[in-house]
Amino acid sequence: MGRAPRAAVAGALTVLRGGGYHGAPILTATVTLRASLKHGARIALLGLAPALLQAQDAPVGFVSGQVTARADTAAALVAVAGATVALSGTALSGPPAVTTRADGRFLVEAVRAGPVTVTVSAVGYRTVQRSIRVRPGDTTRVSVVLRSEAQVLDAMRADARAVDAESFQARPSVGTISLGAAAMAGVPNVGEPDVVRVVQLLPGVIARNDFNTGLNVRGGESDQNLVLLDGYPVHNPFHLGGLFSTFMDATVGGIELVTAAFPSRYGGRLSSVLEVQSADDPRPGVHTTADVSALATSARLSGAFGGGRGTWSVAGRRTYADALQSIFTDNVFPYHFRDLHARATYELPGGIHLAATAYEGKDVLDANLAEFASDSTPTKAAGGKWAYDWGNLVLGVTLSKNLGAVRTPLFAWALGDSTTLEQRVSASGFSTRLDLGEGALTQRSELHDVRFAGSIRTRGAAHDRSLGYELATYRIEYASGSAQTGTTGFDLEQRPTSGVLWADDVWRLSPRWLVEGGMRAEALSGRDWAALSPRLSVKYFLSPDVALTVGAGRVTQWMQSLAGDGAYRYYDIWIASDSFIPVASAWHYVAGAERRLDAGSVRLEGFVKKYDRVLEANWSEDPGRRGDEFFQATGLSYGLDLLARWQSRSGASGWLAYTYGLSTRTRDGVRWAPGQDRRHDVDVVGTWPVGRYKLGAHFGFASGTPYTPITGQIVRRVYDPSLDHWGTGDPRLLLEPLGGARNSARFPVSHRLDLDVSRTWTYRGATVAPYLSIVNVYYARNVFVYLYDYSTDRPTRRAISQFPVLPSLGVRVGL
Amino acid sequence: MLAALGACEFDKVGIQPTESQLATHGVLSATAPTQVVLVERTRNGTVQSIAPPFDLEVPLVTDEGIAETGAIVSLTTPSGATLFAREDYPANGDGSGRGVYRFFLPGSTLDRNGTYKLSILTSKGERVNAETAVPGGTAVFAPDPPRTFDRAADAASIEWPAAQGARSYYVRIETPFGPRAFFTDSTRVRLPGELRNVDLKTLRHVFVPGFPQTVTVSAVDSNFYDWYRTHNDPLSGEGLANRVTLGFGFFGSLVRLRFLELDVVAPQTEPIAGKYRVVGPPDELIAGPHLGLELYVESPSARSDQPDALSGRVHRKVTFSSPGCEFCGVLGTAQNGRVTLNFLRDWSASDTAEVLTGEIRGDTIVGQYRTAGGFAHFVRER
Repeated sequence: MGRAPRAAVAGALTVLRGGGYHGAPILTATVTLRASLKHGARIALLGLAPALLQAQDAPVGFVSGQVTARADTAAALVAVAGATVALSGTALSGPPAVTTRADGRFLVEAVRAGPVTVTVSAVGYRTVQRSIRVRPGDTTRVSVVLRSEAQVLDAMRADARAVDAESFQARPSVGTISLGAAAMAGVPNVGEPDVVRVVQLLPGVIARNDFNTGLNVRGGESDQNLVLLDGYPVHNPFHLGGLFSTFMDATVGGIELVTAAFPSRYGGRLSSVLEVQSADDPRPGVHTTADVSALATSARLSGAFGGGRGTWSVAGRRTYADALQSIFTDNVFPYHFRDLHARATYELPGGIHLAATAYEGKDVLDANLAEFASDSTPTKAAGGKWAYDWGNLVLGVTLSKNLGAVRTPLFAWALGDSTTLEQRVSASGFSTRLDLGEGALTQRSELHDVRFAGSIRTRGAAHDRSLGYELATYRIEYASGSAQTGTTGFDLEQRPTSGVLWADDVWRLSPRWLVEGGMRAEALSGRDWAALSPRLSVKYFLSPDVALTVGAGRVTQWMQSLAGDGAYRYYDIWIASDSFIPVASAWHYVAGAERRLDAGSVRLEGFVKKYDRVLEANWSEDPGRRGDEFFQATGLSYGLDLLARWQSRSGASGWLAYTYGLSTRTRDGVRWAPGQDRRHDVDVVGTWPVGRYKLGAHFGFASGTPYTPITGQIVRRVYDPSLDHWGTGDPRLLLEPLGGARNSARFPVSHRLDLDVSRTWTYRGATVAPYLSIVNVYYARNVFVYLYDYSTDRPTRRAISQFPVLPSLGVRVGL
Repeated sequence: MLAALGACEFDKVGIQPTESQLATHGVLSATAPTQVVLVERTRNGTVQSIAPPFDLEVPLVTDEGIAETGAIVSLTTPSGATLFAREDYPANGDGSGRGVYRFFLPGSTLDRNGTYKLSILTSKGERVNAETAVPGGTAVFAPDPPRTFDRAADAASIEWPAAQGARSYYVRIETPFGPRAFFTDSTRVRLPGELRNVDLKTLRHVFVPGFPQTVTVSAVDSNFYDWYRTHNDPLSGEGLANRVTLGFGFFGSLVRLRFLELDVVAPQTEPIAGKYRVVGPPDELIAGPHLGLELYVESPSARSDQPDALSGRVHRKVTFSSPGCEFCGVLGTAQNGRVTLNFLRDWSASDTAEVLTGEIRGDTIVGQYRTAGGFAHFVRER
């Protein structure tokens, strides 16, 4: 990709983003945008003093929209990232073109009013042209649905970009990987397509085992990842103890994973940021997609409204293994989970973009044991009830407005060639509830936050500057007791408030140098803690397609999980740093190289993560006392990861990910390898269109992770105060395993081949795509855990397997 | 859950035995006539564990323990005196009592809030040390007079005075299926009749009609509290709060503050519920082991294909050749006129002495004893 021409037309500069391999502007033009502020100036959009900004006059407008396409095997529309949107007929000096973001959206700023031809092209799709009229001071929306067109691939190759191509040129993007929905389609799935399982196949990301979708990123613990849905935090994005994530496949437009030296707008976690973007459907009318599998059914209704100014979607999913079981057997595992997701966007008058996201999900494990079928006992009549559920609730609204070129009122300083204001309000909660015997024992945990965040971003010829804030209040409760006996085991309540100010500057120092620097100032009530976290990343272009990167940054985490980091975890129980619990912190250091190729890219990055303080849940904590919830440790993780992505002319795509990592933790002079310390991890993922079929495959190979061998067992004796005697003949023998040296052994290597095939039929606009996924095709016996028995004079060790051969069959339908 | 996901077991291999370690359980009880410390070995794959019928007097060997015999177990009192324990094994003379070390130190003489230091030296030279401070509080030696407790209507509200030095209070209710025990920092607790036992996977009722059930509340020290509130993670073997140096286990102390006996009853509204007396021909009356029966529907069935659960007590003939309890527990089932009654040896569901299977004919249960043979007729009293 070469640099685009640059021209200045008398006066202020407005930059049309998307060109130039180092992010240099591909078009500059004289613009003023009085009209763009005609409504916005009266709207307290950001709370960031928009009155300080004033606009200038010019007969220009904006062109925005979204590019989508129908995936090969899915009826749903998916966002097309990296599509080129070119405008002609604007009487400007150069051919303006931008590239769509991961969610398929684009924005062309400061387009001269009048007739314009929009040309949208992307590899694998037929080029589309639309004629529009740009109204002065207004935003003209263009939504384009691309159609697959294999025979024109060659002609389109020159303009095609991979998903993260723009990011490569525009930002240092250290440790950042973006995937669009199309890239994830066709990856073999386990029962349900799952975006987080795809993320596990990326470099730097370790999956502890098949039963856990928790992420261990570059040596970090699985509670060190910030997971965002459209920018709003999701505190526990997993179902069934981590077997599935909360994100329905049809609702995901794309993802971005940042594994190191985050930009300063991100914080609060030590290891990674996973941003999941909802898919928007720009088609008018009501459209339906459904995915029916052996495990669950999900459905999504979506479309556009308001003459294309708005989009909406509603989606739901429920597992029905419990309902299916009840048909065939009395022994029903009384568990299900469900998800509800809603999303809407709308272009308000004045060029204000409104986006709202709502998500609710719940796992439910309720049972009346008296209704279970009997086994060895003649009746279950005496059994009691248990109720167990946990889930997330997320509500978020974002308002954004592009102001164009703006100057400060006092000194007329130019803030940039274009300015974007954004304001977010969200509420996110995660709660768990366990009730045994109708109040005989209850345990609940709740984390609710209300978050206000905003930013102002200015873009200029050399600098993209951002300034933002985030104010969050939390309500955290963690309690256990018995309503029946009137006793309280423990009762923790926290109501901290956190405040963040952050600044970020992407500086195009020269055609070869790209620098992103930032500072994050954070404070937390309850601990009276405040800190500055600098971030810096630098990219040096050896050539337009080859760059070297380095980065460093300090990260902190004030929300800690009590779940521990064992091989299996049901969910997180979050508590905040306070006068007893310190704030964890770490430094990231990264250096790497990346090369863009015609058919993909190759990236190699080395990383060092030095934990000044990492907290480890204390299994023996006394719930009646504060301060012993966590142990403090220091840590070090380092290694390198390699990502090679390809997208061939035939439509085949995929990636190879390799990670070498080494992690240690140290406490009280004792050093150990944490459970996620995996030395080698290789994943190869590929998808191939073959006529109306789409084939997918994944092969993974990983060296073993450490575990603590059990070296013996102890029988716990019970003292009976009523008899003043040891032992009462209680039929339950309390046997406790005794652990040896911590994580002193390692599981054997694991490997697995997964395959997926789907076929698409189209009839009168409807698509039907049945699919078959087979996980662990050749039945590799990968070890999940070992169980020991020392009760005989011939001690034994048994292995419990990870996934056996797991076929899953389903069909996706689109109307 | 893993089974539901298809995880399977494979690769069962023999492994080398590990090094066995010393384990001890000791409690100083303010109400016990003597203080007992159990000393055993952890399981390391060198001994085949066996579980003969549990014997209260032989709590280690009859409960799959690997007793450590011949150790020197001493206790240093707060005043500095050193006491030595005697192992029951040689003293009993019948081979029992291995690993059971007894200090002839009445609980009433324990120095409250003073520190007692335990030392164990095995014949192989291994040494284990631990210490405890006995909480304050007035020790209760005998239970309150038994009181009737209607499971359907009553709740036992129990209060006790705060005990100096107590880390927590240990509330324990004995049930036929194993105790329900928990800690509380409060000085009161309410035990409703419908309370469920969350220490059992089945979440059965704590209170079972027909059974006498004991409730104790004890002040405990931090060692007792920590040992019983924690568990080891089954995969990592971490988590137990071990307070014994150079070994495993705990050495704690306990002062019984409340001691209640509840005679649990329930409304007998169901046709099968009620008081029965034995009738029949003279030879059957003479040969039969029982005199009467009191039955309750402990839990009606929630499914049409399963029987109701019964509970109650039986009045036994206690003779020289048939010693034991005069009143013993009964558990059973009833469905479609068929009844099965398990007559317990005492009050524990794990020890059945005899089973009667039969049918309900009007007000009469007619059945046959499974072990002893012979028939029995129980007629419900009006």
